[in-house]
Amino acid sequence: MSRRNRMMEGLDQDIREHIAMETQDNIERGMSPEEAVYAAVRKFGNVTRVKEDTRDVWSFVWLEKLWQDIRYAARTLRRNPGFTLVAVLTLALGIGANVAIFTVVHAVLLQPLPFPHPEQLVRVYDDIRSSNTHDIGMSIPELWDLRDHSGVFQDISALVSADANLTGGDHPERIELLGTSANYFTMLGAHPQLGRIYTSADARPGFSDPVVISDAFWHRTFGADPNVLGKKIRVDGDLYTIAGVMPPDFRHPGRTLTADVDVWGTAGFAADPFPLPVVRATRFLPGAIGRLKPGLTLAQGQSQLDDFVAQLSRQYPDEYPAAAGWSVRLVPIQQDIVGNVRTELFVLFAAVAFVLLIACVNLANLLLARSARRQREIAVRLAVGAGRSRLVTQLLTESILLGTIAGSAALLTVFWLKSSLLRLAPSDLPRLNEVSLSPGVLFFAFLISILTGVFFGLAPALQSARTSQITALREGTGGAGSSKHQMKFSRLLVASEIALSLVLLIGAGLLVRSFWHLLEVRPGFEPHHLTTAKIWLAVPNNPREDNYFTPERRAAFQHEILRRISAIPGVEQAALGTPSSLPMEGKHAQAPFVIENRALDSERIPVAEIASVSPSYFSVLKTPLITGRFFADSDDTKGQQVALIDETLARRYWPDSDAVGQRLRLAVPSLRNQNAAQNPWLTIVGVVANIKSDGFDAASAPHIYRSVYQAPSYAGVVYLRTTADLGILGEAVRAEVQTVDPTIPVFGVRTMDFIVSAFLAERRFAFELLGIFAGVALLLASVGIYGVMAYTFSRRTNEIGIRIAMGAKRTDILKMALTEGTVTVAFGVVVGLFGSLALTRFLQSMLFSVKPTDPATFATIAALLAGVTLLACVVPAHRATRVDPLIALRHE
Amino acid sequence: MSTKQQKERIELLQGTLDLLILRTLLLGPTHGHAIAKAIEFNSDNVLQVEQGSLYPALHRLIKRGWISAEEGTSENNRRAKFYRLTVKGRRQLAVETSKWDKLAGAIAQILRPAEQEGKS
Repeated sequence: MSRRNRMMEGLDQDIREHIAMETQDNIERGMSPEEAVYAAVRKFGNVTRVKEDTRDVWSFVWLEKLWQDIRYAARTLRRNPGFTLVAVLTLALGIGANVAIFTVVHAVLLQPLPFPHPEQLVRVYDDIRSSNTHDIGMSIPELWDLRDHSGVFQDISALVSADANLTGGDHPERIELLGTSANYFTMLGAHPQLGRIYTSADARPGFSDPVVISDAFWHRTFGADPNVLGKKIRVDGDLYTIAGVMPPDFRHPGRTLTADVDVWGTAGFAADPFPLPVVRATRFLPGAIGRLKPGLTLAQGQSQLDDFVAQLSRQYPDEYPAAAGWSVRLVPIQQDIVGNVRTELFVLFAAVAFVLLIACVNLANLLLARSARRQREIAVRLAVGAGRSRLVTQLLTESILLGTIAGSAALLTVFWLKSSLLRLAPSDLPRLNEVSLSPGVLFFAFLISILTGVFFGLAPALQSARTSQITALREGTGGAGSSKHQMKFSRLLVASEIALSLVLLIGAGLLVRSFWHLLEVRPGFEPHHLTTAKIWLAVPNNPREDNYFTPERRAAFQHEILRRISAIPGVEQAALGTPSSLPMEGKHAQAPFVIENRALDSERIPVAEIASVSPSYFSVLKTPLITGRFFADSDDTKGQQVALIDETLARRYWPDSDAVGQRLRLAVPSLRNQNAAQNPWLTIVGVVANIKSDGFDAASAPHIYRSVYQAPSYAGVVYLRTTADLGILGEAVRAEVQTVDPTIPVFGVRTMDFIVSAFLAERRFAFELLGIFAGVALLLASVGIYGVMAYTFSRRTNEIGIRIAMGAKRTDILKMALTEGTVTVAFGVVVGLFGSLALTRFLQSMLFSVKPTDPATFATIAALLAGVTLLACVVPAHRATRVDPLIALRHE
Repeated sequence: MSTKQQKERIELLQGTLDLLILRTLLLGPTHGHAIAKAIEFNSDNVLQVEQGSLYPALHRLIKRGWISAEEGTSENNRRAKFYRLTVKGRRQLAVETSKWDKLAGAIAQILRPAEQEGKS
């Protein structure tokens, strides 16, 4: 190939010189210069054709040789069906796992989001640095400042995810509504499949009339009716007009409440139902999405933004005390969506790469053993004049052919199993719907097949071609052992295999231990026989149309609901709470609060998770009371404003004294209760045990509980302590709730066990997959070392026969085998341990109360691996000693 | 060159060019133009080489390892590629020459009786 290029490069020059020489000759013969050139060119003939013919000389031969090699390789493989089958299966396993994981990695991490210039899109978060509180939300004036004065964004849109009631159908339905600024779609660069999107022309202070619906919602609710445009839908009691339908592949680029967004609506967020007047302190916007100015990198944008935030803090010192450390953070949208799945996928990807490496090493060993048997063939071919490089090419063709066959098999398998494989993945894996066998994946599969072939084939091929003709021919007839050099090489391969497996096994071991620890965590509540469901009161845009505008009305509603669901047959006890009282559903927001008669600690503003719960909440969840009392029915709007706190909060702020009787109040006003100064003081009436509300793996966050009759919200979660069937229960709850108000949807009916297992699913997925890969690695490594030892001993039957004949005991032979094996295994284990030390820290974020270098795990796994692999090398040795020395001696 | 002269010239048979190149290079390494001239000169201008066709042939011979190429300077100081017969090529020349002799002899034997028949 390179020779061809070298030769072709000089051709132009050669032709030019040739014609020049002929011209010179012609001039010497007496022609005029013009005539001379003309004659020379004519005599030379068609230059282009000459060049083409010359090129053909090279390419034809090259191709022909390749074709020859492929045919020869195919014949060889066909003649060894056993070897071919084992090789293809091993490789297909490795390649298939890689292709499968890469398919997900490609869709989730590599494929850019389907928007123009996706790299410009960022999620905007507000943080309070002093208390390490992230994502505190944004106020309307802050959004306006970012939009108009920061100089960082082309455009920025608020994002308000909300549950909403869709009424007007057979029964009220809960839908997911995304409130955005009017420029949301134009900023993303998204186009509807039907109708129009809303634009800045639709901007109003409150909600605008036109809404855009998702393709899924269009199909679900309107049966994909093409005349859906202009239809009215009633969302939370308000009428909107459907202006457009988004295409199926459009998804909101960010996290949502439960599933995909059903309806997009636009608001200016500066009129009802949003808090008025517009003030800086009311950070009710959960966040925003922005598009950076063209040419601005993320780092530049962030540093400009930091300057801008500093300037705002100077301008409004009351709103932004310097000690609090208010800051605004930009996160690339892709990273925001993917979150920590990134680490997990990379770990899995690394794991499958290891499996493939191990498979390659195994095959390299197999080929080495086979090449020893093929030495005679190779020696003969060398003797009749085959070049060594030609031989290597031919042997490589064989292994690449194997790789390609295995790759095709793997690709087909992944293609057939795609949907069932995807079902294994946790359903909240972002961008899962984009997983497909795209050209990128096909290219990857092709590339990895070829590379695999080269990788496992190169060393054996080089080794074979190094064969000395004389000794090979002689050895071939004698059947003596293969060369020492070759044995050493295959031992090295086995050792590397052991090292690779050890890294994988230790990784899997750490994850398994984490999972065990996780299962042992006491969550602070009893998940068995606990069922939950969600309800949602509509929040109409106009407060006067709001049936539940006053806390009293909401409290009365909740009281009635609780009374009715408690009476459902089979329900031992029922409770009610706000959404933040439901544990394990993502991370709950923390809000700042103020303690009475305590100087504001400028370093750490106190924050806690806030939830409103009914008096029965803790007894339904079986969370113990530490001191004081639970809420009572009398803790309503007429009574004294009270609060319960958990142990974490009590220990943090009243480490030595009794918290009961102390007073605190929330620093930030709730929706429709705008003035911060009006937040009432809450008297602490009791301390309850901690509830792991953010998940088993999160540190216990401090909690402040309020009585649901004093701080009732629009959204609610009901809790039922029962052993009754989920389906019946769901219907019963729906019937009771809708008896009270037929416009209220009941959704998300689940058992707490289910919620807990869903929470664990992601970790389970990671450790199960890694466990499977590690198991495969262990199997391959054991088979590898077994194969090499078996091969060694079958080659040494003769030697062993002599040893036994000379009086060696069987145990001596075993000891010999064990010694040889131990060296290899020990070498592999030591290298593997160092490799693990270097690599397991990448697992950090996936571990729970286990250090990445946990000595117990390292020791256990290393011992396990050493045991299995030593066993794999003793078995063939044991078999070798069983041979009758006479037969062994005669063995040729 | 007149048309009359051209008519007297013979187009080369497929494959014989390779043999002629090898034979020419037996006298020593030289460049493409010189090879073409030598073939014409040594055949008293009877054998006509379309000079361009020399190059695919030269490359074919290199590919087979019968000749090798190296950079050099021509008699009138021009940069040119010099082609040299390899050991393998020398062997090949012997083989090809004997093949050619056999072929030429066989063809002559077939053709001569025909001539005689025509005369009689």
